[in-house]
Amino acid sequence: MGRTVNKKANPKLGVEIAGIKFRNPVMTASGTFGYGLEFTPYTDLNKLGGIVVKGLSLNPRQGNPSPRIVETPCGMLNAIGLQNVGVDYFIKEKLPALRKYKTQIIANIFGETIEDYMEVAKRLSDSEGVSAIEINISCPNVKKGGIVFGTDPSEAAKVVSAVKGSSRLPIITKLSPNVTDIKVMVKAVEEAGADAISLINTLTGMVIDVEKRKPVLATITGGLSGPAIRPVAVRMVWQAKQVAKVPLIGMGGIMNARDALEFIIAGASAVQVGTANFVDPDSAAKVADGIEEYITRHKTSLKDLIGSMKVG
Amino acid sequence: MESAAVKILYNKEVAPKYFKLGLSWKTPPIAPGHFVMLRVSDGLDPLLRRPFGIYNVLGSKGKGTFKGNGIELVYQVVGKGTQILANKAAGETINLLGPLGNGFPHPDGSKKIIMIAGGMGIVPLHMLAKSTEGAVLLYGARDKKVASMAKDFKDTKCKVKIATEDGSVGKKGLVTELLKTELKSDSVVYACGPVGMLKQASIISQAAGVKCYVSLERSMACGIGVCLGCAVKAKTHNEKENKNYRMVCSEGPVFDSEEIDWDAL
Repeated sequence: MGRTVNKKANPKLGVEIAGIKFRNPVMTASGTFGYGLEFTPYTDLNKLGGIVVKGLSLNPRQGNPSPRIVETPCGMLNAIGLQNVGVDYFIKEKLPALRKYKTQIIANIFGETIEDYMEVAKRLSDSEGVSAIEINISCPNVKKGGIVFGTDPSEAAKVVSAVKGSSRLPIITKLSPNVTDIKVMVKAVEEAGADAISLINTLTGMVIDVEKRKPVLATITGGLSGPAIRPVAVRMVWQAKQVAKVPLIGMGGIMNARDALEFIIAGASAVQVGTANFVDPDSAAKVADGIEEYITRHKTSLKDLIGSMKVG
Repeated sequence: MESAAVKILYNKEVAPKYFKLGLSWKTPPIAPGHFVMLRVSDGLDPLLRRPFGIYNVLGSKGKGTFKGNGIELVYQVVGKGTQILANKAAGETINLLGPLGNGFPHPDGSKKIIMIAGGMGIVPLHMLAKSTEGAVLLYGARDKKVASMAKDFKDTKCKVKIATEDGSVGKKGLVTELLKTELKSDSVVYACGPVGMLKQASIISQAAGVKCYVSLERSMACGIGVCLGCAVKAKTHNEKENKNYRMVCSEGPVFDSEEIDWDAL
């Protein structure tokens, strides 16, 4: 399962999640890194543990009207509306170039029905070069999108088990933070067969233009990301770790290695870098370098760092 | 396209809240209409880079595309990000991403070039003026002080006509009125400025059967076509990628005005 890991990789930085060997624990978060290839002028994709590509649906999606983004204190709101080229176009036009890099390719998927999810998963499973599927059950932007699945434990479980049954690939389930108790969701998707869990997706938010008394975003609400949400995300990873049996992948406002280490120490086996890619397209590679430096300086290994928070 | 830490050569106020920023940068080839993203602060607020049009390539005598040892940007202080930028001094370093986007299609010489700019819209057109001859610039400015930017066009082979809102210099009124009188059937129009002005320029040009290229400005997070935040609705459907939206950063910022759904902007 998965692809060849570069032999030069530092073994102390490597991690295995759901049978996939990652050269380092740093991936790029879906929706913030395009299909990866857009970043080749600015960063070395071979330095990344993995690339989670922009969310894919069965058919291409046009996305939301604009304005779609607005900057907020230490963060941003987005309501892109899951615009994407569709799974077939991705497999034909993007994947062949992407799989040449020595990094794990994870396909993020979403659908409006369980059947949609299953079909997208099946097509990805039949194509060469995808190491795992990350299921988006939590995107808060589209009225007909994943929000129903992401906030209801039994609906979430249905999607996970359906995707699991349609694909030979390991399944990562990405959780929404817009729930009362994240532990309930962790247990539900785990029992349904998730091989790993990534969290958190964006927090629902909104900004109002007070002069016009109108919402800034065309869709009124959007998903908040960036360093503003990091403490919430770290807390949720730590809570998830209390009950999770499968590995966790933490994300939410990671800007540098220090931020990433918080997630790892809280219990994440790996991390995803998101909004930071917009600010510095080389962010994720720098995070990986920074974690390696920390591990060397502390004479430790990634494995020993995961969930190593000392309380009291 | 590259990410570079560059030194500020100068940062001076040339009209109230209008600044010229010189950056030392051994540039890749830059075409009129290209832009850069600047990170105005190393802190987390503001978090995102800001897009800026390129006004000048320093130390270059190119035509069409320019390579030089620096660039000059012109910006207006409108919010937190540009205020931080305004406080920076010569010698400080700033991180730049660029050159980004697609420039204006280079005029083939068969048409009479009309450039129409509103306020800060003058920025990319200055680069275009330097690489063309016999063009006319129609410049719409709030007042005399802003209109003084047009004096920079003296070093181009370009005739300038001004309209100001307060009538303090040139014709009183909207710059699009100047376009109506200037437009001929053998013209080609290059426009940059506020959306309302661009829409009017597009309508006027289209009615006259004249091609009009517009440079758009939208809020952006990444500048490289991945966040999909700077979308504008197009009138035409892109068959290959099956989409109706265009990204201002990676598919623009220059568009054929007929491609844009102006009512959705």
